[in-house]
Amino acid sequence: MNNLRVFVSSAVFSFRAQFNWLSPSMWLTMKFVLSFSQMAFFVFVGIFSGGGASAVSFIAIGNAMQSLSWNTVFSVVQITGQDKGDGTLPLVLATPANRLPLFIGRAMVHVLDGLVSVAISFAFAAFVFGVNFAHADPFALAVTVLLTSFTMAGFGLLIGGFSFHFRNPIVFANIFTFVLLIFCGVNFPVAALPRLAQPISYVFPLTYGINAARQAINGSSLLSISPILAEQIVVGLLSIAMGYLLFESFERSARKTGKMEAQ
Amino acid sequence: MKYERMPNTLRVIYSAFRMAMLYWMADPQWIIPNVIAPFVFTTVALTLFNAYGGSSGPFGLYAVLGGGMMGMWGNTIYSSGFAISFEKWQGTLEEVMAAPSKFIHVIAGRSISNALFGLTNMVAVFIVGIFVFKISLGISDPVLFTISLLLTLFSVSALGLIFASAFVLSRSAQTLTNGLETPLYIISGSMFPIALLPFWSHPFAYILGPTWGIDAIRLTTSQQYASQTFWAGMGTSSALFLDLTVMILITAAYVAIATVLFKMVETRARTMGTLVEA
Repeated sequence: MNNLRVFVSSAVFSFRAQFNWLSPSMWLTMKFVLSFSQMAFFVFVGIFSGGGASAVSFIAIGNAMQSLSWNTVFSVVQITGQDKGDGTLPLVLATPANRLPLFIGRAMVHVLDGLVSVAISFAFAAFVFGVNFAHADPFALAVTVLLTSFTMAGFGLLIGGFSFHFRNPIVFANIFTFVLLIFCGVNFPVAALPRLAQPISYVFPLTYGINAARQAINGSSLLSISPILAEQIVVGLLSIAMGYLLFESFERSARKTGKMEAQ
Repeated sequence: MKYERMPNTLRVIYSAFRMAMLYWMADPQWIIPNVIAPFVFTTVALTLFNAYGGSSGPFGLYAVLGGGMMGMWGNTIYSSGFAISFEKWQGTLEEVMAAPSKFIHVIAGRSISNALFGLTNMVAVFIVGIFVFKISLGISDPVLFTISLLLTLFSVSALGLIFASAFVLSRSAQTLTNGLETPLYIISGSMFPIALLPFWSHPFAYILGPTWGIDAIRLTTSQQYASQTFWAGMGTSSALFLDLTVMILITAAYVAIATVLFKMVETRARTMGTLVEA
């Protein structure tokens, strides 16, 4: 019961804390402007480079799914940055609370926030860029988006755990939010990457999520995309585990050396 | 010219420029957030062009020059917001405002240094374009290319001044910069012709100095490129001259608007006493 309390408190506080740097009205603006403008940018690049309606659909769906990384990667890594910047990290480490629910809880409301981002982006894809959702399997798509948000939050925790060891976690938040655009099949298939770079794509849970979402929108059932989702869950859980280990190693090092913000 | 002998305005601009450069050099990792978006966007665009249109022709030119342009844009917009937020966090904004030097001159120096740092992205994009994507990028007129690039840099910096004046009074300066970045890449036609955009958006493109700047830069780079602005169909020299003239006029208008806005912001801040709390 105590662990559940820690988990819920950590989830709620971490979400509320983001409004220290983001006003609620601006949060809404970002939800609509950022997702739409990024999608529009790449759709226009796709059209200019000669891609037809299928390319527009491919790009719009990819960017709609990628929009959740602003919540699940950028905002989750930003928590680490805020803890370091605002001097709350010593308090977090001094608490007797179990570290695992404390650590995982940080990302959980961002999972829900990510779902809102994807829903808004799908609306843009359908109503502005004419993506056809008529054949979509809504249940398969909903499960895919939920799992992608959850596993990407796991990836956010991994980068957050990693960036505990550095002075400016925001740098990593930026890098890893954007590189997803190259590796995850957001705008072009993974096969278009150089052969040597392709294995990197499968380190990111988003790659599996985008692939599964495209298939669900084309009418595939949950059962037929379940192998992709199973791989995604494994990668997501591994990310959480590795992130937690990095967080623990940071805590051990901080207690030993007495350095926290200055690392 | 010796530092002490510089005219007062130039000395303030130069000092702010130098200070901003020193900040960047002291903590160079901050370059990464500023240049990562244009760099990634260019890489994605080049891959898309490769997939659908081939690596030759206008696509490579658009991607590489557009990516460099976006680097200048991104750095200026981001840094205009960040510079003000940073002063607020450190509690030094009051001192800067209270100094006898004009605040707009301080911000102008920083804005120029930010745009200049954005050029580092152009170099990175050029390297990736040429060596990874094998884009053949010859500059047909190096002198006019340099002039066009420098004038565009000043135009971006002048627009940065307008943003900065608004950011002084906003708590969400950094967030605004994040929201503005990609729409500006789209509207200015950095990576594709503005003709692809809906017609209602064209006036917004034409009031942006860099829209004309990127057209001029492309004209000086490739003789095959035809102007995408009002001068479509004209000869290269005429189109280039008109592009640069319009950009200079727009930049002058930006500076005039920014001067008025800074005056208003300064007066409002002194009257209301809401500089940092705003």
